[in-house]
Amino acid sequence: MMKEEYLSVFIDESRETLQNLNDNLLKLENNPEDMEIVNEVFRLLHTLKGMAGTMGFGNMMKLCHRMENVLDEVRSGNIRLTEDLMDKLFTGVDIVERMVNNIVESGNDVLEDIDVDSIIRSFDEVQSGESKIIAENVEEERKERESKEEEGIPIEVEEPVRNVVEKALGEGFNSYYIRVSLKEGTQLKSARMYLVFHKIEEMGGEVVKTVPPVEDIEEEKFDLDVDMIVIIKKSKEDLVQAITSISDIDKVIIKDFMPKMPSIEEKPKEVKEEAKAEEKTAEEKKARKKLTQTVRVDIDKLDTLMNLMGELVIARSRIVDTLKKYNIKEVDESLAQLSRITLDLQNIVMKVRMVPIAFVFNRFPRMVRDLSKKMGKEVNFIIKGEETELDRTFVEEIGEPILHLLRNAIDHGIESKEERIAKGKPPVGTIVLSARHEGNNVVIEVEDDGRGMDRDKILKRAIEMGLVDELKASTLPDEKVFEFLFVPGFSTKEDVSEVSGRGVGMDVVKNVVESLNGSVSIESQKDVGTKVTIRLPLTLAIIQALLVKVNNYVYAIPIANIDSTLMISKDDIQTVQDKEVIVIRGEVIPIYRLWEVLEIPHETEEETMNTVIIRIGNRKYGLVVDKLLGQEDIVIKSLGKMFSDVKEFSGAAILGDGSIALILDVSNIA
Amino acid sequence: MYPISLEGVMNLDTAVEEFEVLSFKLGDQDMAFDVENVEMVIETPQITRVPKSKNVIEGVINLRGRIVAVANLSKILDLDVGLERLKSVIIMNVNDIEIGFLVEEVNGVMRVTEDEYDRNVVSEKFGKKSKGLIKKDENDLVVYLDVNEIVSEIVSAGT
Repeated sequence: MMKEEYLSVFIDESRETLQNLNDNLLKLENNPEDMEIVNEVFRLLHTLKGMAGTMGFGNMMKLCHRMENVLDEVRSGNIRLTEDLMDKLFTGVDIVERMVNNIVESGNDVLEDIDVDSIIRSFDEVQSGESKIIAENVEEERKERESKEEEGIPIEVEEPVRNVVEKALGEGFNSYYIRVSLKEGTQLKSARMYLVFHKIEEMGGEVVKTVPPVEDIEEEKFDLDVDMIVIIKKSKEDLVQAITSISDIDKVIIKDFMPKMPSIEEKPKEVKEEAKAEEKTAEEKKARKKLTQTVRVDIDKLDTLMNLMGELVIARSRIVDTLKKYNIKEVDESLAQLSRITLDLQNIVMKVRMVPIAFVFNRFPRMVRDLSKKMGKEVNFIIKGEETELDRTFVEEIGEPILHLLRNAIDHGIESKEERIAKGKPPVGTIVLSARHEGNNVVIEVEDDGRGMDRDKILKRAIEMGLVDELKASTLPDEKVFEFLFVPGFSTKEDVSEVSGRGVGMDVVKNVVESLNGSVSIESQKDVGTKVTIRLPLTLAIIQALLVKVNNYVYAIPIANIDSTLMISKDDIQTVQDKEVIVIRGEVIPIYRLWEVLEIPHETEEETMNTVIIRIGNRKYGLVVDKLLGQEDIVIKSLGKMFSDVKEFSGAAILGDGSIALILDVSNIA
Repeated sequence: MYPISLEGVMNLDTAVEEFEVLSFKLGDQDMAFDVENVEMVIETPQITRVPKSKNVIEGVINLRGRIVAVANLSKILDLDVGLERLKSVIIMNVNDIEIGFLVEEVNGVMRVTEDEYDRNVVSEKFGKKSKGLIKKDENDLVVYLDVNEIVSEIVSAGT
């Protein structure tokens, strides 16, 4: 019973840890010398091992333990991180991931097609084989390093600590570097370390620095060894004796510690940079800490909260509408307050639903790495704006379309190295995945510097499929041509690869994005590259809209798409190339009558007309309506499957009086 | 998917298969839907037209804060019944699609035995939209409609 209860927590946390592991392994692959990352990977594996052990998943525990050991060897310099070893680690992490999935599905970590023991043994090979070859090297290197470092003391001491130590030395204290090692399998490790600190303080000493830092020790975020700098008047021997008297202490290494002054030859610039780097890591650490202070909330509860919020907004509008009729001074103030609170609440609820797009982007570096490796292409994958927040609903949906686009970019876009060199391009291809806010939209772009779209090939296929007349084909603008790619069953890649080119893909991307009230567009230039842009609304829930009237029907236009509103008279309308336009401040803007766009019967036209100027990106157009009713917060509701063919509306909203306003999808009506 | 099955309403005592339908009037004809798809019956509220939508869809209504599409059953079945005569909406849930059907008048829930159900009558007019006839007696014939078929025809139909 207990196990059941913890299982979901275990699964969530395992997945999170695995994601972290993947991220760090990727980082490590690029900086194999960075011991900080090795440590992080080690810690993550250790955590995973512990969790698996607690839940009784032996295979997962064994595998994590083995990888942890390998990492430990890397950390101590006995093994070097080769490409082969990196691959093995990635495979290992993949298998653990599959185990976790298996646990979700069938409750155990036994994978039928994989012999965990043989995987574990494969790490043995690495360890024994590698260590033999490089043992000598490493020994030498270590010696070299030891002589270089402060008398073999593997601890970096910052300026303030150094000052403290110097001051203490002046007052007759001794300063020592101490490494305390706990016995394997020690329980309550942080308590043991606390006893060590306590002992030192009892003897009149002070611990001025520890590696890992004290907070980590308190949270048991360390393996068995803790390094520290101690200032104390007692002798080395007394100190060792005192510490070893504490149970579960395996080993104590003690050395004299003399703080080294930064030499004068060192350029001050470097010091500054170092300091900056430190600052940065400190900030990063802070950010990481902040991230961990969260509460897991059932998604259903969040949705319920959002729905209630929607109801509240409607109820408030209704009250405001009703009270307007009576014009009672006394309620004005409380009404204003109610409105304010509702708005605040609405913002908070909306924010609660927002998550950084990093949740989606996180898994891509690994995927791009594997895929480009498989395809034999070299790709430099850059992610930008992963902190951009978007509605939680999108996070679950948008991953798949982006995945498609990345696959396409690697498979169809980026050329082989030889081809690139022949074209005079940099041999390594670049794929940029970026996200940013633009007005009330989230814009996600996948851009590659590959071969670009072949207009002629697309047209040929379009003609074959009967999508376009052969005669008209050559006159089509590029963006129309690229739109064919979104037609189901359209694929120009002659050979179907494992990765993509099965003729599914772009239409799926379009479907998903449009179901989220978003849009997709393609820009491409031959041999320069391709950019696919996905535009999503910031949130699906509540928007500000201008209500307009045509006949007796009310339509809502999202404020985000409105440039301005104005009255125009019939005389203002000019005809240019059979199109009606108006000129505002020298700008020619086409105008459309909403009733014509929606094909609804309409009585005679007035002399002056209310016009809403719509802006989408750089494009502007005017929409003539009968009446402007005013601005209101509306809760967007889907029109449902019955209207999936209606492109003119993105949804509907229930107004204060219970009537329905259809929400115009201004990017699709003109 | 909820395939319509008669087993669910089998009467175990008598071993005679029985099921329930909601019967209603449309164009001087009694018709019926499976009762298990019916959510509720309401008086026709104000319907908001959705321009450029399918011809058989009259628009949307506000059903307790939900937006629900309302279809004109008489158009679907090619009967000529004026909108003003359609006084009731039967709200149905078909494979998680909520949809209302405009009808003239709802008669009520009817219990039908297997003997009264003739599934072999193929209607020329209604085609697959009907899954047979329910005969209470010689003068009381009810067209038994297949709501799954009707909904999927609406979804796949053009405007």
